Amino acid sequence: MILEAERVSKSFGGLKAVSDVSLQLEKGELSSIIGPNGAGKSTFFNLLSGKFRPDSGRILFKGEDITGLAPHKICRKGTSKSFQRQNIFPRLSAFDNIQIAVLSEQKRIRNIVSPAKNQCRGETNQVLERVGLADKQNRLAGYLSYGDQKRLEIGIALATRPRLLLLDEPTAGMSPEETVSITHLIQKLAREQALTLLFVEHDMSVVFGISEKIRVMHLGRIIAEGNPEEIQANEEVQRVYLGETT
Amino acid sequence: MLAENIIRQLLSGLSMGMVVFIIAAGLSLIFGTLKVLNMAHGAIYMFGAFLCYWLTSWLPNVPGIFWWSLVIAPLGSAIFGGIIEILLLRRIYGLDMMYQWILTFGLILFIGDICRLLWGVDYYMVAPPWPLNGPVEIFGVFFPAYNLFVMMLGPIILMGIGAMLRFTRLGRVIRAATFNPEMVGALGVNVPLTFTLVFMLGCWLAGLGGALVAPMTAVSLGMDAAVIIDCFIIVVIGGLGSTLGAFIGAIIFGLSYALGILVAPKLAIAIGFVIMAVILIIRPWGLLGRPE
Amino acid sequence: MKQNQVLSLVQRKRLLGLVATALCLVLLPRVISLGYLSLVIEMMILGVAACGLNLIMGYAGMVSFGPAGLYATGAYATALLIVRFDIPFTWAMIAGPVAAALAGVIIGWFCVRRTAVYFALLTLAFSQIIYTVVFVWYSFTGGDNGIVGIKTPPILSSIDNYYYFTLITSAACLAAMWMICNSSFGKALKAIRENPERAEFIGIHVRRYQLAAFVLSSFFLGAAGSLYCCFNHNVFPVYAHWSKGADILVVCLLGGMFHFWGPIVGSVVYILLDKIIVSFTQYWPMVLGLIVVLAVLFLRGGIAGFISSRALVKAAQQSSGGDR
Repeated sequence: MILEAERVSKSFGGLKAVSDVSLQLEKGELSSIIGPNGAGKSTFFNLLSGKFRPDSGRILFKGEDITGLAPHKICRKGTSKSFQRQNIFPRLSAFDNIQIAVLSEQKRIRNIVSPAKNQCRGETNQVLERVGLADKQNRLAGYLSYGDQKRLEIGIALATRPRLLLLDEPTAGMSPEETVSITHLIQKLAREQALTLLFVEHDMSVVFGISEKIRVMHLGRIIAEGNPEEIQANEEVQRVYLGETT
Repeated sequence: MLAENIIRQLLSGLSMGMVVFIIAAGLSLIFGTLKVLNMAHGAIYMFGAFLCYWLTSWLPNVPGIFWWSLVIAPLGSAIFGGIIEILLLRRIYGLDMMYQWILTFGLILFIGDICRLLWGVDYYMVAPPWPLNGPVEIFGVFFPAYNLFVMMLGPIILMGIGAMLRFTRLGRVIRAATFNPEMVGALGVNVPLTFTLVFMLGCWLAGLGGALVAPMTAVSLGMDAAVIIDCFIIVVIGGLGSTLGAFIGAIIFGLSYALGILVAPKLAIAIGFVIMAVILIIRPWGLLGRPE
Repeated sequence: MKQNQVLSLVQRKRLLGLVATALCLVLLPRVISLGYLSLVIEMMILGVAACGLNLIMGYAGMVSFGPAGLYATGAYATALLIVRFDIPFTWAMIAGPVAAALAGVIIGWFCVRRTAVYFALLTLAFSQIIYTVVFVWYSFTGGDNGIVGIKTPPILSSIDNYYYFTLITSAACLAAMWMICNSSFGKALKAIRENPERAEFIGIHVRRYQLAAFVLSSFFLGAAGSLYCCFNHNVFPVYAHWSKGADILVVCLLGGMFHFWGPIVGSVVYILLDKIIVSFTQYWPMVLGLIVVLAVLFLRGGIAGFISSRALVKAAQQSSGGDR
């Protein structure tokens, strides 16, 4: 088991965004969390990645308690997150975006002496190729297309060599073609790198297309868990989504 | 003797504090709505002070000229501010705060030198107007009546701003914009016009402060640099964006400064900065500001 | 392969430019008068200060209102050691930046906990506290009278020799900053500037890097202060006034914050403008204010940004012409 959340809760003011959520992720699992808007999916992700500290409960990564650790520490443990909105370094080149993550992972980022230009070029190029941006590496990240920025997004998260990759709505705002290509990328990455992938999605074709396991959240709780067929047949899930446009 | 000294010093600190409150209220309003820290606020205050001096020295025989200048100088400052907002600030709203600071700093240099061009480097004195041109006895000491008048003006201005925020449409928009800038545009409010009016209002307050201060201290170049720092101290104590906070901050600052003069006169000028640093370290959003 | 050739051509041009500049600088005292030589010394010192400030401004994206305090710390440390404690010149010169760096540790530790406006205001508060201390502590720092008659070693008493001394020291400082800016650390700073949250999420302890940058910046600001106080043989409280810090900020903007050599260009231009405009009109602040306003409106990348974008456009045109 690579990740375990034990009865995790988080409130903002009077609102309980995440309520007593428990979850186990097996190594290599490719699974997703779905649910209507406001179900608490993003908040739960933020608890896993260290942006917020849970009010109660524990989070264990590879058996180690990481509850409440700072984000940069959680990253070093092996969890990486790709963000919902584009969260790249816009005025740096695509190459720099990835290279910085690689340098950080290799603990070379502290170096104030050696010129960084050619350090870790090999690894950086590898990541760029893996996400399909090798030919655009010198472009400023802010000027890439939306889909390419998402690839860069995922690339930055990958460059830190995580064991667990959290993807927050990876196909949000994308055209059908871009969605298909990103979905293929995610699948390829999961296979090639034996990554454990957990993603939040609204696009049901992506969810049912590539998830091995689906968890459904509603009002801060997990209300159902299972493989795609089980979830599709689940009455409570249908009720929760009734009237929801996907 | 000692008691008289203390009372006089405290009154002096309070009256100075109230003047800076009036100016800082403008700074706070501008920051709360436009999210711009107007570095040139002190320069506009100085401009208002010079306008007041100019009117009173140009037309000394007009009865009540000082009171007239109390109307005209803030208006002139407001108009000046409006021109600045329309020509310059509008172009840089979306940018990083740093550019806004640097641009308004450039305005400090520009406005300061305009004042030098128009009025030279001398110190100018403006006499307190009748009937406030003598001392009055309060709490057993003699204190300039005019300074007392200014001190009482502080709470009046506070209530005036509060009323404006509560009861006028502009005030409602200002309050909404302080909480949620993006929504305001979506509500059909003419955002550019609102921003211009708020900036003009802030400059009006700065100009009013300048005109009010003219009989209390010398009008000269360099008064902008001194006051802008005091304004920063006050809005930090009270919280950026809160008028009531600026008022409380002004009282705290004025009294602390006065106590400082009594206890350790040489170090008194450091008191404000130390308070400012302490607040920024432990509670940066001040007494009544909102934590981000 | 053609791209690689083009790159090394650019690198060769740059190296040639650097060598030519170095040669000019070394031969300068033979060519220009003492008055102008003094100006060049001021440009170099201001260049070091501005590059130092740009370490946190342009690279890490932290806007400070308080560089003057650290500049003055360096200047006063050196001055006091020479005048009050009879410390030899070399040690005093080294102690200046070190003292500034230590001040930077304390000030920076408090300041990097805050962002944007609060960070800027806190740096201002600290700078003004330093100003007040220097102004008020008459018995130690000479208060308003400052410290005058700072003695330098006899070999440096001629402007020519002080020029070479400043040239070597400034070059060393700039070389060190160049190395820092081009290192992995420098890239981490840029990442922090672009997106501090994301930087945190890829494993960079943002606050620690910001503090490190602040301390390094303070070191070089202090170095500039030390150089200046020995050049002028005096130091006054006004060195620590926030308006002096604002001047350094303006130099960074005018020259260009997003390129290493931007602040250097900015300091040359600033001092030239200062001397030239003053000879035409006494309203130098008005002109400078106007230039600053226009720069923010139309030339935010500064002179370096302008030149660099023109060069990029040219290179793009050339390469597209060549490849197609």
